[in-house]
Amino acid sequence: MPNGQILAGYLAPHPPHLVYGENPAQNEPKSEGGWEQLRWAYERARKSLDELKPDVLLVHSPHWMTQLGHHFLGVRNLRGKSVDPIFPNLFRYSFELTVDVELAEACCEEARSGGLVTKMMRNPNFRVDYGTITTLHMIRPQWDIPVVGISANNSPYYLNTKEGLHEMDVLGKATRRAIEKTGRRAVLLASNTLSHWHFHEEPAIPEDMSKEHPQTYEGYKWDMRMIDLMRKGQTKEVFRLLPQFIEEAFAEVKSGAFTWMHAAMNYPEIEAELHGYGTVIGTGNAVMEWNLVKAGIVADRKSAAHA
Amino acid sequence: MAVVAAFLVPGSPLPLLKPDNIPWGRIAAGYQRAGRAMAAARPDVILLYSTQWIAVLDELWQTRAHLSGVHVDENWYEYGDLPFDIHIDTELAHACVAATRRIGVHSKGVNFDHFPIDTGTIVAARFLNPDNSIPFVLAANNLYHDADATEKLGRLAAQVAEEQGRRVAVVGVGGLSGSIIREEIDIRSDRIASHEDERWNRRMLDLIERADVAGLRKEAPEFARGARADMGFKHFSWILGALNGKFYGARTHAYGPVYGSGAAVVEFTI
Repeated sequence: MPNGQILAGYLAPHPPHLVYGENPAQNEPKSEGGWEQLRWAYERARKSLDELKPDVLLVHSPHWMTQLGHHFLGVRNLRGKSVDPIFPNLFRYSFELTVDVELAEACCEEARSGGLVTKMMRNPNFRVDYGTITTLHMIRPQWDIPVVGISANNSPYYLNTKEGLHEMDVLGKATRRAIEKTGRRAVLLASNTLSHWHFHEEPAIPEDMSKEHPQTYEGYKWDMRMIDLMRKGQTKEVFRLLPQFIEEAFAEVKSGAFTWMHAAMNYPEIEAELHGYGTVIGTGNAVMEWNLVKAGIVADRKSAAHA
Repeated sequence: MAVVAAFLVPGSPLPLLKPDNIPWGRIAAGYQRAGRAMAAARPDVILLYSTQWIAVLDELWQTRAHLSGVHVDENWYEYGDLPFDIHIDTELAHACVAATRRIGVHSKGVNFDHFPIDTGTIVAARFLNPDNSIPFVLAANNLYHDADATEKLGRLAAQVAEEQGRRVAVVGVGGLSGSIIREEIDIRSDRIASHEDERWNRRMLDLIERADVAGLRKEAPEFARGARADMGFKHFSWILGALNGKFYGARTHAYGPVYGSGAAVVEFTI
C-alpha cells in the first residue's frame, strides 16, 4: 500500500527580478545582479531541497488564475518561452518541464471528491505562467524533478477571503491525500509574496538596489510580525491574523498558496527557517522552509532505507 | 473626423472557439455582423483596448510591427487554440507613447518576441479584422487607472491618430456583468448568472442605445459594483474618450451569456 509523504513546504515567491538578477542561460535579458539577499536565500533553500531528494515538487501559483474551479497541469512535457507580461524587459525565459501527471490526476480527483470543481489541463500548447516558472527555477534550476502545477482559483477575490481560503484548505487536504495514496515523497511550494504594495514606476536601471526599499512601512511591519510568528512556530496565530494581514498589507497570500501548503502539511506548529527576506519593487518577499523531516513529524523512508 | 467606427465587444474566447453552441453562436454571429460593419467603415487603423491586457507599472502600448503565434486561454484551453496574426501601426503606437505625457501618464512601448498577447485582443482581432487587412494600435488596461484616466487615454489616442491623418475605428474589448457560473453546466443552456446581472446589462445597453451619456456616466460606477462589471466597465470609457464623449445611438448586434457573465457586441452610431 503506497504511503507517500510531504517532506517540507517552502514559501517561494516569484518575482521575475530574481531570475533576471541571477543571469541564467535560459533568460534572455542580462543584468548586473541585484536582489542578492533574496537570491542568496534561494541558494540556501536549494541546498536544503537537495538534501530532501523529493520525487516531485508541487507549486501553487497566483499567476495561473482560474475562474471555474482549481486546475492542474496534465501534459507530461511542456516547453516554451515565457515572457512576463508586466516585466517583459526582465523575464524572457525558455523553459522545459516534466509533469507528474499521475499525481496531478490524483490531486484533481481527491479535490473533486472533497467538493471542489476541478479540471485537468490537457492542451499541449498551454503557456505555463511565469509565477510557476520563476518559483521552480529559483528553487531547482536544474529542472530535474517532476512537478505538479496548480492554478489559483479566484475564489478569495470573487467570493471573499474567508470562503476562498476555505477552498484552499480543502484543496490542501486533498493534495495530502493524493500524495499519500500515490506514494510520492513531495515538497510543496507556495508561490506567494507577503506585503504586496508596490512602486508604480520602474527605476531606469531595474537592478539599482539604491532604489529598492519597502513600499510602505506598514507593509514592512506586517511582514516582520508574520515572519516572527512563523519563526517561532506559532502557526495558529499566523492563521488567526492572516485575514487582517491580507487586508492591511494587500498580501498576496490572499491568492491561496500559503493556505493550501499549510493545510496539506496539517498546519504544523513548528519553527520555520527563514532563508532570507527582501523587497522587490517595494513588495515584501520571504523564502521560508517548514521541514517536516527535521521536525520529526515525518520519518523520511528513503533516508532511513539508506542509513 | 478621425473616428469612423466604434465597437464594444466581449473578450471571452468561447464564441470564437465554440460557435456551434447556440448561446455562444449568437454572439459569434453578432461579432461577424460587426466585422462587416468594420470593413464597410474602411478605417486605416483600429485603436483597441482590452481589459485582459493587464499593466500595473506604466501604460503599455504594443510597438512590435508583427505579432503572430498560437495562444491558449488559461481558463478555456479545452476548447482549442487561438492562432493570431496581428499587424501594428507602429508609427501611431510610438506617437501615443510619447503623447501620454500631455495627460500626466507615463507610457512604455512593448516590443518583444513571444510577448503574451491576451485572449480578448485575439478574439476581437479575429472577428473584426478576419482578413487581417487593418493594422492595430493596442493599449493595455493599467489596473490603477480609473474610468476617468481611461477616458483621457482613449481621447488622446484618437487625437494623436487625427494629427497623423488616420481614419480610425475604436474598439473596447470587455464584458458586461462579470459573474460567471462557478459550477460545471450544460453549455447549451448557458444563462446570465443572476436576474440582477440581467437587469443591469439590459439597463446599460438601453442607455447606450439611447446615447444617454450623462446616464451612463452616472450609472457606470453602480453597474461596476452591482454587477461586477468587467474591470469597472473601463473598456466603455476608452470608447467614450475616443468619441470625445459624444455618440448618437448604438446597435446591439448580440447580447447573451458566456458561462454566466454578460457579453454584448455593440456598434456605436457616430
